[in-house]
Amino acid sequence: MNWQAFTLTAELATLTSLILLVLGVPVALWVAFSRQRWKFLLEALVAMPLVLPPTVLGFYLLVAFGSGTVLGRWYQRVAGSTLAFTFRGLVVASVVYSLPFAVQPMAAAFRGVDQKLIDAARTLGVTKRTIYRRIVVPLAWPGMITGMVLSFAHTVGEFGVVLMVGGNIPGATRTLSIDIYDQVQGLNYASANQTALVLLIFSYFLLCLLYGLNRRALLWGSR
Amino acid sequence: MTLEVKLRKAFSTKPGKFVLEAEFRAPGGVSVIFGPSGAGKTTILECVAGLLVPDSGRIALGGDSDTDALEATEVKNEILFDSARKIDLTPQQRRIGYVFQHLALFPHMTAAENIEFGIAGNGTRREMLVRDVMERFSVTHVAGHRPAEISGGERQRVALARALVTRPRILLLDEPFSALDDALKLDIIADLKQWLCRFDIPVLFVTHDRSEAAALGERVLLLREGRIVNEEATSGGWENARRLPGVSPAR
Repeated sequence: MNWQAFTLTAELATLTSLILLVLGVPVALWVAFSRQRWKFLLEALVAMPLVLPPTVLGFYLLVAFGSGTVLGRWYQRVAGSTLAFTFRGLVVASVVYSLPFAVQPMAAAFRGVDQKLIDAARTLGVTKRTIYRRIVVPLAWPGMITGMVLSFAHTVGEFGVVLMVGGNIPGATRTLSIDIYDQVQGLNYASANQTALVLLIFSYFLLCLLYGLNRRALLWGSR
Repeated sequence: MTLEVKLRKAFSTKPGKFVLEAEFRAPGGVSVIFGPSGAGKTTILECVAGLLVPDSGRIALGGDSDTDALEATEVKNEILFDSARKIDLTPQQRRIGYVFQHLALFPHMTAAENIEFGIAGNGTRREMLVRDVMERFSVTHVAGHRPAEISGGERQRVALARALVTRPRILLLDEPFSALDDALKLDIIADLKQWLCRFDIPVLFVTHDRSEAAALGERVLLLREGRIVNEEATSGGWENARRLPGVSPAR
């Protein structure tokens, strides 16, 4: 078991899901409640990583990080280095790649809040912001946890985007899934099996946690 | 304070098209909107509250006037909705108290948190308002309990307290007592009546139940198939109400 890759993967997944909690909530609120006609354009954009081959997404992110783009040049000026093949670059790529896994369950949970509660809050004279903060978000917590857990698990298992954007640098960008790939390439099946088994058990545990929490939330909601 | 309503709202329904066309004035006191299911009673309340936008019409709140012409009181009126002038205040701007049929209490908040939700600011004024309304509706003892932990009657009282604590200019009641037994219902109605003695605001009270309406209502608007077919003081209104299909008999 490569503990360095294990720690790096855990750090990457934790950071990604925390960033997605901060970014995902406003995006999901907008997706759930906006009545803009062109909303579907942004919805499709957020959902793109679900259908796009990871290598395609990784390729475009790699291009975006390079000195040929405004974003790439700006980052190089500010940080003095490029985002490509760094841990920070991996974080950015993971946030983009896992965005729909956070936003979609959150948006579904926000939409599921009883409209009458929102109407009641509106007639009580409070602002939209207060309604979101005190009614919608607290009542949609199971969806928010689902979004966080899914984005965490998805980041742990990502391969194509990591390989394209981060390469395979030990201690910097080599995650567990890349490590398994390396072991298999070196015909080291026993070691690959050990790491794969850890990921398998971990994924099963996370999903059990998720379903257990949702069951609790259902019971809580029906009280 | 008089509420003046003239509105039209069309819906596409399975059997065809349903059109609500209502015009009435509701002075201070309780006006009962009475009629069978599907007559458009809740739609009227939602339009007055700003939760639903009428296709056309005018909803205004103004000082009392002897004239029936809506235009004559315009100077004193605050217009909540006017399709001709493209005015449509948000529910937040209308200062309306609304008690929904299923109450819509916030399930994750305690009774006290529900009640103080709509009061702006912090401090002693807020506390005083909450304490006063909780005492008047006898819910002080459940202040720290969530809606799921209190009885149906207590929930009803909390919903009324929440709607009234913000000092609304209009109160809308959408069959709020339908799930209660008669004794409890009359008890709550007595508390509400006392409150309304202090604040003479127009109250629109939607109900199917004659005993409820008789206990609280001062005038009746009979609604049938989207139209007000009669508008009278309580006693006269009941004679016509009896003939309406879907109206429950007196209990």
